[in-house]
Amino acid sequence: MDTSTVNTILLIFHYFFFAYAFAAISSYIILAIISIVETIEYKKKNKFVNYKEILSSDIAPSISIIAPAYNESLNIIENVRSLLSNHYANYDVIIVNDGSKDNSLELLIEAYDLVKVDYLINQQILTQPVREGVFKSKNPAFEKLIVVDKENGGKADALNMGLNISTSKYVACIDVDCLLLEDALQKMIKPFLELTEVKVIATGGVIRIANACIIKSGKLLDVNMPKSMLERAQILEYIRSFLLGRMAWSRLNGLLVISGAFGMFDKKIVIEVGGYDTNTVGEDMEIIVRMRVHMEEQKKKYKVAYIPDPLCWTEAPDNYKTFISQRNRWTRGTIEVLKKHRRIGLNPKYRSLGLVSFPFWFIFERMAPIIEVVGIVYFCILMALRELRWDYAFVFFISAYLFTVLFSIVAILSEENTYHQYKKKGTGYKLIRTILLEPFLFHPFVLYAAIKGNFDYYFNKKIKWGVMTRKGMTKAAESN
Amino acid sequence: MNKFLYFIDSLKEEPLLIQIVWLLSFVLFVIIIISIIYLKFLRTHLRLNDKIAEKYKNEYEANLITYLYSENEEGLISSEQQSIIKQLKNGAINKFKREIIISTLLKLLNEISGEMADSIQNLYYQTALNNYAVAKLKSGNWYFITEGIRELKLFRVKDAHKDVEKHVNHSKSEVRKEVQLYLVNLFSFKGLNFLNDLKTPLSEWDQIQLLEELQKFDDQEIPDITLWLKSENDYVVIFALKLAKIYNQFGMKEILLELLNHESERVRLELIPVLNHLYIVEAKEVLKSNFSERSREEQIEFLKLLENLGDENDEHFILQHIYNNDFEIRLSALKILKNINLSKFENLELTKPEAEFVEMVKFIKNN
Amino acid sequence: MNDKKKIVLAEDNSTLSLLLKFKLTKEGYDVFVAEDGKKAIEFIEEHNPVLILTDIMMPFVSGLEVISHVRNKLNLQTPIIVFSAAGQEEMVLKAFNLGANDFMAKPFSPNELVIRVKRLIG
Repeated sequence: MDTSTVNTILLIFHYFFFAYAFAAISSYIILAIISIVETIEYKKKNKFVNYKEILSSDIAPSISIIAPAYNESLNIIENVRSLLSNHYANYDVIIVNDGSKDNSLELLIEAYDLVKVDYLINQQILTQPVREGVFKSKNPAFEKLIVVDKENGGKADALNMGLNISTSKYVACIDVDCLLLEDALQKMIKPFLELTEVKVIATGGVIRIANACIIKSGKLLDVNMPKSMLERAQILEYIRSFLLGRMAWSRLNGLLVISGAFGMFDKKIVIEVGGYDTNTVGEDMEIIVRMRVHMEEQKKKYKVAYIPDPLCWTEAPDNYKTFISQRNRWTRGTIEVLKKHRRIGLNPKYRSLGLVSFPFWFIFERMAPIIEVVGIVYFCILMALRELRWDYAFVFFISAYLFTVLFSIVAILSEENTYHQYKKKGTGYKLIRTILLEPFLFHPFVLYAAIKGNFDYYFNKKIKWGVMTRKGMTKAAESN
Repeated sequence: MNKFLYFIDSLKEEPLLIQIVWLLSFVLFVIIIISIIYLKFLRTHLRLNDKIAEKYKNEYEANLITYLYSENEEGLISSEQQSIIKQLKNGAINKFKREIIISTLLKLLNEISGEMADSIQNLYYQTALNNYAVAKLKSGNWYFITEGIRELKLFRVKDAHKDVEKHVNHSKSEVRKEVQLYLVNLFSFKGLNFLNDLKTPLSEWDQIQLLEELQKFDDQEIPDITLWLKSENDYVVIFALKLAKIYNQFGMKEILLELLNHESERVRLELIPVLNHLYIVEAKEVLKSNFSERSREEQIEFLKLLENLGDENDEHFILQHIYNNDFEIRLSALKILKNINLSKFENLELTKPEAEFVEMVKFIKNN
Repeated sequence: MNDKKKIVLAEDNSTLSLLLKFKLTKEGYDVFVAEDGKKAIEFIEEHNPVLILTDIMMPFVSGLEVISHVRNKLNLQTPIIVFSAAGQEEMVLKAFNLGANDFMAKPFSPNELVIRVKRLIG
């Protein structure tokens, strides 16, 4: 290769990175502005809504909470109790024990006076068979509870079993270890009932991190900021992504993912598309994309709604090993979903789904870690070739860092102006410190996990689900 | 300082791009500093506000309870009450305090009725809080209008209804919704007259809220709903169907039967359970005659109706559907068969020995 | 001082419970206010009241569970009056099935409540 070719290649690289960074930064600015507008509007519109009295009404439509459980004996009793105490008249709770090897089922039977009942299951979606049977409580106080024990088939399969069991019009799919606030169902059902011009197919909720929070008897008593950088940075990351990112996408009606930890669906449409896909680790994103594709193909006006209120609290990984395996799985999930539905990308038939949401997701979520690594490699090569212009590198680095910091601060300001969950004195300082350090102390792990996810996806096909070792919410709370 | 100046100087020598990015970084830096200061201010402000609000809340709560218990025997305003009124009136001048006073009054008013509720309402007037709410109706901002209407609704201020009704066709749905709730909350079924010429949608959510409001009234004498059942607005028809069901409008039979041919599927789907609830058996022949042309959901609703109203005359019809491919239709049909001809039902399983079918028959037999 | 009749009141609206406490104390009862069902059960076990007043919709342990706990776990026949919001007929039926003695739909008149309390425990 002669020098001119090398130079041309270098120039192309320069322009490419510059364009990518420019596009990323502008899209983030646009998203932030949209999300602030949307948040203000949401707050204004919902100030007048009287939830408590109205939706304790029995005219309101039926909802099933579906919570798959796999070896959750540590917390299952408390968690089910919290699910049963939601302020909504017309709902039931379906716990799907997905072939647990521990004594979850026995504990449930004991705690809730369960007996095996004759239950005719409408097998609309093919699932692993029932193991011990379907159980209900003898005690009328727990009448809402249905427990089904089935052979192990993974989370998606367990959710599908719940869909078959449910007789409700709407289903709320949640992780059993999530803590739901008591007005969660009322708030999540509202978009389905409220919008008349478009069909709401699903509603996504915000996930908040419960680490270090005090939870007693299934009730959130006190919100605290955890001590470790890893946990704090995740809190920051969740606020950024839920309050700035998803809020904006919901405004644009371009949400591609509803967190598997808490989302509500129109059951009829979920059944129509065949339920959850059991062949991906990204089943929560996959089902939304598939439901959207379905609606686009039917040429119906639809919306995936989003509720920014902090309704669902869950424990985030508190050690790097679990964290990395979780993010690894998320990365593989994203790759799988985008690959499975690649035909909609840039396909005008799917309008904004194919032309905006999908490409954005591919370029800025899927490809971002890879491009970042290529950038680092490129940087190193330049350095080795003594071709690096330090003046450029330095100032670009500074401005990128400052932009990241500013974006995080805007997210925090947005949180303070709306929900203000971290009320304690001194938390503001902790948050700022996290914002300043997170790009150095947290981001490298996120990047590593994403790259590992890519690697595992392409070269390590046998990889199993990352097992999330959970400390248990009550225990975590007590030790604080 | 010198070093900084030197840096600026040397920057002038650099390419334009570098200069721009430095400038950008500087701007970002300044914005960050301002934001951090603002964040600090905001957090302190919010924290103090919470504390002060809590303090006032407790104070007003105690005031309110004292007020309610220092009523004269004759129902006149006592001197103790007079001083509380004065205190609250002064507090209400401040917007922040006013909001706390209102929320304290409402918190109790929502849960109690009778003399004490009247007392709270009276206190609302005595402290002239209603004037603030009425003033909001004249605002140009939909948000304040809604806020005003909502407050007048919650305190049941009937004499503001002329001012409120002006907004019944407001361009913002939030305002219209609040006007509707105000009218129904205060005037019960009479407040529903806005339905007569409603052109805008009435969402499921709005309907539930209106029905809940109506159920709070002791007087359950419902006006003639014929006009609404015949409305051109499908949402009004659906709402009227809900009224027909909840208030058992047997008299509407003829109109309801006509609605079986309504062009909107949603109306028909709402209708069939109403016919079921009201035992209108005449609907059976109409629905049987064009069963196959109806949507799956309508078919299921109709079979549910037959589970309730079926008799031996329906046996022939039902036998056509007990092997239907649809789970729910098959299940319903088998249940109906069990109801109307038990012996036939019990001899069934031999004729069709498919596992799933047998399981269903067994289930119905046992339950 | 302890010859006063004890009442446990479970209600999550602080203003309402303050009002009722005031009213019932004036009538000569000793009132224990619990802001949720869990607290209510603790009070019931601790004080063995002559009457229980409970809201149905409460944080964590619902009123229904309180009733069930009193009747089935503690095996007490203490009279229970439940409060419910309008439109919760089904809940009220469940409450009666579990052994509630009386119910009052919100919004209710505090004076009427006192009359019902007196009718049940004198």
